[in-house]
Order: sequence, then C-alpha cells, then structure tokens
Amino acid sequence: MPDTVYELFTNLGSWLTSAEQWSGPDGIGHRLAEHLQYSLLATLIAAAIGLPLGLLIGHTGRGAFVAINLASFGRALPTVGLVVLVFLASGLSMWPVYVALVALAVPAIVTNTYAGMTAVDPDVKDAARGQGMRAHQVLFQVELPLALPLIMTGLRLALIQVVATATIAAYVSFGGLGRYVFDGLAQRDLVQVLGGAVLVAVVAVVLDLALSGLQRFLFRHRTA
Amino acid sequence: MNRRTLLGGLLAAASVPALAACSSGITSLEGEGSVGQGSGSSKDGITIGTANFTENQVLGYLYAAVLEAAGVKTTVRPNLGTREILIPALKGGDIDLLPEYQGALLHYVAPKATATEEGEMQNALTIALPAGLQVLPYGMAEDSDAFVVTRETAEKYGLTSLADLAKQNGKLVIGAAAEVKTREVGAVGLKDVYGVEFKEFKSLDSSGPLVKGALKKGDVDVANLFTTDTDIQANDWVVLTDPKNLIPGQHVVPLIADRKADATVRKALAELGNVLTTKDLTELNRQVDKDKKDPEDVADAYAKQKGLTK
Amino acid sequence: MTIDWSWIGDHTDDLTTLSVSHLQAALTAVFLGLLISLPLAVVAHRIRPLRGLLLGLSNVLFTIPSIAVFVLLLPVSGLTRTTTVIGLTIYTLVVLLRNTVEGLDSVPQKTKEAAKAMGTRPLRTLLTVELPLALPVIMAGVRIATVMSISLVSVATYIGDGGLGQLFTDGFQRNFPTPVIAGVVLTLLLALVADALLVALQYVLTPWTRKRGA
Repeated sequence: MPDTVYELFTNLGSWLTSAEQWSGPDGIGHRLAEHLQYSLLATLIAAAIGLPLGLLIGHTGRGAFVAINLASFGRALPTVGLVVLVFLASGLSMWPVYVALVALAVPAIVTNTYAGMTAVDPDVKDAARGQGMRAHQVLFQVELPLALPLIMTGLRLALIQVVATATIAAYVSFGGLGRYVFDGLAQRDLVQVLGGAVLVAVVAVVLDLALSGLQRFLFRHRTA
Repeated sequence: MNRRTLLGGLLAAASVPALAACSSGITSLEGEGSVGQGSGSSKDGITIGTANFTENQVLGYLYAAVLEAAGVKTTVRPNLGTREILIPALKGGDIDLLPEYQGALLHYVAPKATATEEGEMQNALTIALPAGLQVLPYGMAEDSDAFVVTRETAEKYGLTSLADLAKQNGKLVIGAAAEVKTREVGAVGLKDVYGVEFKEFKSLDSSGPLVKGALKKGDVDVANLFTTDTDIQANDWVVLTDPKNLIPGQHVVPLIADRKADATVRKALAELGNVLTTKDLTELNRQVDKDKKDPEDVADAYAKQKGLTK
Repeated sequence: MTIDWSWIGDHTDDLTTLSVSHLQAALTAVFLGLLISLPLAVVAHRIRPLRGLLLGLSNVLFTIPSIAVFVLLLPVSGLTRTTTVIGLTIYTLVVLLRNTVEGLDSVPQKTKEAAKAMGTRPLRTLLTVELPLALPVIMAGVRIATVMSISLVSVATYIGDGGLGQLFTDGFQRNFPTPVIAGVVLTLLLALVADALLVALQYVLTPWTRKRGA
C-alpha cells in the first residue's frame, strides 16, 4: 500500500507538470476553462433564482415553511438521477448538466439567504420604519446589508458543491475536469483520476477564497 | 438476496469493511494483486461480473441461467464498468467469472499479440493470461468492434475502409468509449496499423446512447459500435472494412478464476457456447434495449427455449 | 416521457431490494461518520489549535468529487460495498464534525463549571452533561448528513454499487425513463422517511427541550 500511494503521487507530479498534458482539446487548460464555465454559469443562474426567493421569503415572512422544506427536499435529489432524467428528455445537450447543478445550488442559497434575513433584529427594522423608510428601503438598505454575511456563506457553499459536482458533465459526453475522472475510471488510470480530483479541489478552494475576499471587500466598503 | 431487518443489515454492513479489507487483493495501480484469494470451488457459488453495456449483461445472466441449472449458485453483478476495471476485480476475488470477447481480451493481456485465427487466439490467451485466470472454450457467437460512419459522411469523404480514414487525417472526430482511446483495438491500433490520426477523440460510451446520439447529430464523424447493435442497420450506417485485420475475431469466451473452473461449470458454459449464435445474441440485445425487457428474463427465456434449462 | 407502470408493477421486489441496499449504505456511513467525528470533535473542542486544522481538513475533503473518491478507493477495497461506505463516510465527516464541535461549544460555561464544582470527573461531565446538551445541534448535523448520504449513494453506481443509482445507469443505457423516475422518487422518499424518523428520535432523546418550548 505505501508503495502504491507513493507511486500514485510521484506519477501525479509528472502528469500535472507535463507540457503535453496542458495543451489541446483534452489539455488541462481547456478542461479547466470548461469546468469554470459550467460551475460559474450554474451558480449565477442559481443565485438569480435563489437570492430573490430567499429575500422575499425573509422579508415578508410568508412561505418560509414551504420554502425551507422544499430546500431540504432539493438536498435529497440524487444528482446522477436528475442528470439522466433530463438527458432522456432533452437528448445530447448541456441541459442535464445545468439543470442538475442549479438544482443543487438553489437550496443552499435560499436557506442561507432566508436565515440571514430572519437573523436581522426586528427592533432594527422597526426603527428603520419609524424613521419613515419605505418597505423596499428597509429591505435594501437595512436588511440586506445585515444579512449579507449569511447570504455570502450560502453562495460559497453552493459554489463549492457545484464545482465538485460539475464533474458529472463528463458522464453525458461533455468536458470539464470530470473528463479525467471518468476517462481515468474507464481506463483504470488512477493517476488521471487523482489529477482530475486534485484540480477540482484546487478550483473549489481558490474560488472559495476569492469569494471570501470579495465578502471582506464588500464589508469594508459598507462600513467605510 | 435474503431480506434482513434494517438494524441487522446495518450491523452486518458495518462489519463488512474489516472482512472485505482482507479479501480484496487489488493493491497496486495496475491491479496486479495476487490471485486466488476468493473462496474455494464452484460449490461455494460463483459471482459473475458484467461490463457496462447491455450485451455483456445478457451474457452474464445466460451464464447464470445455465450454471444454476447445473446446480451452481450464482450472483450476477451487472454494470461494473470496463474490462480495465473488471479484470483486476477478477484477480482480486471480487468476482469469479465474466463474459469476455476473444480478440479484445487477448489484446488487453498481450497488446502486441499477432494471432488472428480463433484457435491461435485461444492458445495465445492460455499463455498470456496471468496465473490463476483461464479462458474456457469459446462460443459460436461473435460480437466485434466496428468503426462506423453515416451514409453521408461515407459519401462525402469517400470512406469504405479503415485505410480511407488516413486520407482525412486531422479532419475527423472519433467518438468511442474512453477506454478505446488507449486500446490496441482502438485509437492506438488505428494509428499504428492504418496511420490514422483524428482531429479529436471524444470519450462517449460503449455502443450506447451517447456515441449513437453524437453520430446522429454529427458531433462525431466516426463511431465505435458493436456489430451486434441493431441500430447500425436501422440507421443505414456504414461499417468501415478492415483490410489489414486490425480488429481480431471476437468470439464470446468465458474468463474465469481457476478455483471455480470445475467440470460442472465447464460443461454448462460449453453447452451454452455451442447453442448461442450471433443472430440469437443480437436478438436478445434488441429485446433488452428496444422492448425494455430485463436482461435476466430475456436470458432465462432463451435458455429455457433452447432446452438448456428446464 | 411516459412512465411504464407495468414495469414498476413487475419490479416491486427489485425496487425494494435496491432501496434496502441504498439505505444500508447511507446509514452505515452516517453511523461510522459519527463514530469517527465524536472523538475528533471533542479533541477539536478542547484543543483550540487542532480545531482549525480538523475542520479545514474536512472542508477540503468535501471539495473532492465523490466519483473520484470511489475510484481512488478501488486499489484499497475493490468493487465492494466497503468502497461505497468509506467514500460516503468521508462526506458525512464535514457536516458531522462541524455540528458536533458547534454543539459542544454551545454548552454554557456555567453548566460545565457547576458540574466541576459538584466534583464530577471530566469524562463523566462530557458524557452526562456536555453531549446531552449538545445533542440538538449534533442531531441537526446527523439529519443533514443522512439526507446528503442518501442522495449521494447513487454515485457509486459508477463502480457497480449505488443501490437505487443502478436504476439510473440502466435507464440511461436503454433510453428508458421509468427506472430513472422510480429511482429518483424512491431516493426522495427514503430521505423524507429517514429525516422524519430522526426528528422523532431527537424528540424522544431530548425531553428537556420540549418543556422549554411549551
């Protein structure tokens, strides 16, 4: 076993550093770009759906029970099943990938946005209204900034999950870093599988750090 | 499978890791573990592993049907993956028997093998297989790899044989299962034997929905399919001829761990091999893929109809 | 996309077997995950420097695609249920570890001091005071980990296991939606039922939280 692990990691080193591995349609550069495209687009779509939904529920306090339960229902959706189902309905297209990734990301965004909104002190909201602020002003100038940390947590969690799961695109013939994982499985080339996995983890960690940096920047901006 | 109570199952499953950690012998990258750690003889039952395409599952259940009729207990594990995954699992003792294809198997264990005639290939296999594994007599049925183009593509580029592909080097996209990229009977052999270089290799599946969908849509120009796939005829696709015999004969052949290959098993599988024709196999595949019947039911019905089981 | 109801009628036995096998894999993983994360959480709770390290490590494990974990385990445990369970266990850790640490953190310092003043030994305090008080937060983690595991089991279909996930690969290969729909619906049902049972279990295990709520 120790020999195997040692061998695996030394081979990984040469796999990751060989120039040949980085170029061409199956090169790391291209696969990385595809993976980023799938992940970022899916998270953006999910945010466009989940953020307004979470804000609305949090602001009005209506529909919370349904939304939170739907979200935990969504967490139980098996991604592989969803991908296959959409594939059978839509044929060879990007639909299965995006539907599955968005379905994965929306629950985390909705629940955290909602949680952030409910965590805002009711007294603060009352005070804002007492000062004559309109409903939308309370939402955008008081609640949203205060809820931002939790909202960002939701977005970061969603993005990490999406990056790890975008691997599935390779199952339905598309690219991304999952190509290395699925091809490595078919060829029993564990170095390739490990290479793909490490790259996915690096992308997830780097994007997470970038978002947390953005979060810090937003806060400094707000308090300044 | 016997039904356990939930709690009992939980406890049993929890105790599996310790046991299985001892029994699995696949400990290196290439799966070169020691062989023969699985238990005893065919009397303890046989686990049949099958690859990730319909036909292999049909064959697995056919093996199960005739073995059960001969008094051997069987478990079929469908859809385990590719040859590259299955053979290490066979060596490691996770499975005992798997339906294989002569030429493809030979090129897997001996990539530079030159034998093309069935008898020669059988001998070459007997020599090349790792200790502990053996092939039983091959059957009549054959399922070869085919490189296929649409009628339009064939006319557009004037393609009739694999040799014609080299005239279009750098222009065509090939679609096949990922493992075909690194196989001799695949992209490697096409380059070595015919000098074919593709613009791109697209990893799809084994004669499944992806590769056929991509060929129909025009996402790939050349597709690797199985000759027993009825969609080739149904879509009027052109199978490129193989003048230099890159693709060896692919008679169905049982690959089995020595410890399970006793007289009962040999006899039962040989009888099946002598009855099952390529035409039969193609029809059974069609029933599973198109009529959505279970591979197990299709196999059982066939074995019964042919008098192989009662 | 139509459902072939007769297929479902003909396959109730198979669907039951796959559901049981699916649930077994998921629950075993959560059980093992708890066994591993409880002591780790105690360590992370007591020894501050290790806290960031352990939580960070479990977060990084979470970013690795599950399919890759299953494949990389093949040299260790082959095409077996063990591979599935180890892979799933790794994913439960991130949730279970974080929630257990947070649960232990949530126990008021005063309560622990009171126990100490009464001469209760540290281990006893942990078992009889801290863990029970941390239980609601730990159980919240167990619920999330359970639902997550149930949804994740199907990925193991790529290594020939995966419980209900086998219906997905089968339906995919044959262009046959019925088994896929059955698999998705049953997975959701398993998750719902398991979650409801855990809520009930928590209700029974933490009688004191009820009184406070009333």
